[in-house]
Amino acid sequence: MTTPQSTPALAPAPGVRRLTPDKTTIFEGVLSVLHCAIQNDQLYRGVFAIRMFPVRHPTRFISLHFTDLDDKDREIGVIEDLSVFPPEQQALVQRDLAAHYHEKIIRRVFEVKYEYGLLFFEVETQDGREKFEMQWRGDRAEEYGDAGRVLLDALDNRYIIPDVEALPPADRQRFTNFIYW
Amino acid sequence: MPEGSSLVLIRQLPEPVVAAASRLGITGADCLFCVRADLDHTGKARDVWLVVTQKVLVAFAADGVEGTPLTGPFEIAATEKVRTFQTVGGAILQVMRDGFYSNVLRYSNSRREIFGRARQQLERLVDGRPLQLESLSAPSDLVCATCALPLPGRGAACPRCSQHAGLMRRSLALMKPYTGRIAMMVIMMVAGVSLDLLPPLLTKVLVDDVLKERAHVNWLEWILLILVTTATLRGLLNVLIGRTSVTVGTQISKALREQLQAKLMRLSVDYYDRHAVGSLMSRVLYDTEYFQGFVHQVAQGFLVNVMLVLGIGSMLFFMNWQLALLVLLPIPFVVTGTIFFWKRIYPRYYRLWDSQSKMAQLLSGFLSGIRLVKTFGQEERERERFTQAAQYIRQARVTVETSTATFNPIMAFVFSLGGLLIWEAGGHSVLEDRISLGTLMAFLGYVGMFYGPISAISMFSNWVTGFLSSAQRVFEILDAQVTLSVPKNPKPLPDLRGAIEFRNVTFGYDPYVPVLKNVSFKIEAGQFVGIVGKSGSGKTTVVNLVCRFYDPQEGEVFIDGVNVRDVDTHDLHRQVALVLQEPFLFRGSISENIAYGRPGAAPVAIMDAARNANAHEFVCKRHAAYDTRLGERGAGLSGGERQRISIARALLCEPKVLILDEATSSVDTESEQEIQKALAVLCKGRTTIAIAHRLSTLKSADHILVIDEGRVAESGTHDALMTKQDGIYHKLVMIQTQLTRLEM
Repeated sequence: MTTPQSTPALAPAPGVRRLTPDKTTIFEGVLSVLHCAIQNDQLYRGVFAIRMFPVRHPTRFISLHFTDLDDKDREIGVIEDLSVFPPEQQALVQRDLAAHYHEKIIRRVFEVKYEYGLLFFEVETQDGREKFEMQWRGDRAEEYGDAGRVLLDALDNRYIIPDVEALPPADRQRFTNFIYW
Repeated sequence: MPEGSSLVLIRQLPEPVVAAASRLGITGADCLFCVRADLDHTGKARDVWLVVTQKVLVAFAADGVEGTPLTGPFEIAATEKVRTFQTVGGAILQVMRDGFYSNVLRYSNSRREIFGRARQQLERLVDGRPLQLESLSAPSDLVCATCALPLPGRGAACPRCSQHAGLMRRSLALMKPYTGRIAMMVIMMVAGVSLDLLPPLLTKVLVDDVLKERAHVNWLEWILLILVTTATLRGLLNVLIGRTSVTVGTQISKALREQLQAKLMRLSVDYYDRHAVGSLMSRVLYDTEYFQGFVHQVAQGFLVNVMLVLGIGSMLFFMNWQLALLVLLPIPFVVTGTIFFWKRIYPRYYRLWDSQSKMAQLLSGFLSGIRLVKTFGQEERERERFTQAAQYIRQARVTVETSTATFNPIMAFVFSLGGLLIWEAGGHSVLEDRISLGTLMAFLGYVGMFYGPISAISMFSNWVTGFLSSAQRVFEILDAQVTLSVPKNPKPLPDLRGAIEFRNVTFGYDPYVPVLKNVSFKIEAGQFVGIVGKSGSGKTTVVNLVCRFYDPQEGEVFIDGVNVRDVDTHDLHRQVALVLQEPFLFRGSISENIAYGRPGAAPVAIMDAARNANAHEFVCKRHAAYDTRLGERGAGLSGGERQRISIARALLCEPKVLILDEATSSVDTESEQEIQKALAVLCKGRTTIAIAHRLSTLKSADHILVIDEGRVAESGTHDALMTKQDGIYHKLVMIQTQLTRLEM
């Protein structure tokens, strides 16, 4: 009878670097540029933040990047939970995230008209009532999460409907008459 | 200030901006150019002006609330670099100072084009090169200069200004080549309708003069004979009309399919980056079917019925106008119902089509990736996805069919009410001797014929809804912009030498996100050049530009000293061969696959090519040798065998430029050796560009380009690059050497 051999332990894979408040300090430099100091590592200047799961976890898993001297964008690490950072650092990251995303959230769809291969939308967003045009093509209205759609207008501006089913019935009807996919 | 400046974009600067600029000592004479942004740094919609002088760039809010610059001034002399940093839905103009970027101003994607141009001028300013300010005021490629309507593609014709015809008009235009036959068909239809009007008239004579009054009993046989003749002629005409409409219809759908295929061949590669293959297949296969029925539906479904309605309507009014008015009573209900049907059902046809298209895409992905599904044990998940897609089709179909199934009986009920009204009013008229029984019988005969065509016409909208949604998808392909310009006077290059030059090339699949950044290099004719770099560094993009699958946004690509934009693409593609990591083989025989680029190649030439590609031996072992039929994507051959077939295919074309894109990456070591031997033959005397992860395969290259983050980071021979201890190439070679040792 042979003695069963123990399974060798798997070598830990490095994965992404987690940024935690005990080792990471985010602060503002001149001209409102974001900097990030990490214990036992260098000071990163000109830092910017990106959401890793902008649909499923918009407030978590935030990746901090910087641009090196060769103009390459490099990741510093990922903040799993921003709320554990000091409030002033949270505010800085939130401000940077706000600068990185320019998206309109559609709340109402008042009119959708088709002409010249374009859909002419009149909608209400967080900025009020507005109009935009988009090409009536499958690649201009992509899925956004499980139930939403992101519309790319003719100039690539982004209009998001987080949940099509949550639109008022008449608005939904107007919308799905054309964005049926 | 703007008056004296060389250029002020869009319009004059607002007064608060002029005032704020003056406080910084900036005058109109200083201003080189100004560009308006549409967001402030918080993302709020706000007019912000970038003012650029010879010395500084500075951003001011147009409303002047702050009274000071929003950002800046940034000294040009202290600026190391300028970039437009693409974010999500917008971008940021940034300048690098002291080794890191600072934000100058933010804008939405609406302003991306103009800031892309401004960035180029700022780079020139920083580099001390002369400005080209006219580019800032050049018309937009994205919107119509006349009516500001967004264009379907960069630089495309404006659909509003070019008076694009409607879908139905364009569909009718497809019939133009068959005008003669269609005219014959219309004549036959008029004759047919005239014949249809005859039987009720004869019925009147039969009832009143033969059966009731018995005045002309001997007419009975004659009337019956005429009725039989009428029915025979009508049947004959129906056959002729049906045959003509089928002939013309199939010709139209065939011509349309050919047009679609030709257009799909002409469309640039970027079109396929944006559209799912399943969706395109569905359009060519199924949407064109609708056009086949177009002639039949327009002629027999619409025109005949319109003629019948007009003809019968005239007869009804001629016989008794009071009763005829009663016949018209249900018409408003029919029209209202049709409009309702149009509005409610029309969009549901889109959903039905979408469900079928999604199912096709799902099946295509699932069947071609069956090995992957099995390997990862995801059969159950795929079953669930399929069930969802099948359910989607079912729901879409149910919605369309139940709506139709509800609408039709309601319409039938409305029509039957019309018939009952005639019985009521007409019956009283007969009893009161105001009309004869024969007239009522004839009238009822006509009424029976009248509602049928009305119903068919209202149902025609049902067909039209489906047809228009198909037509829209078909014309979408036909109208798609071919993004690569065709040279007006293409320069022939019948005998390519193979010298290649990239001059300051910047290119991105998304025009605002460059993959290659200001890349310049030269390859002499006949050289063997290796391209190395990390995944995503831009290696394949280089060869995509050599093959002119795309055009660069900036800079130029030359082949034998001629800009590839000016070269006859037929000459170019005939003499440039591409061997990809995943060789693509078609369903067909091995010999057909080898001779794909030279269909008329002699069998001996095919064998020579295969021999030189080290493919001949394994082909000989097959029962049918070169006539062996291959399945989809070369099923039946191993990865290495497929690759050698694709090399033989390239060899047979005797290309002057050979591009090997990771040609040996996905095969085992033994196959790789075989392929390397084949490639050694193939590369002799021709310009060869080889992209390879296994650097050992590039040792003999005349020159190696190391691409990193879209730039040529290093270049030189293997030996020269190995002398740079901290170089990228040296590091890559060291890593691979260690990996090889570990594998041993």
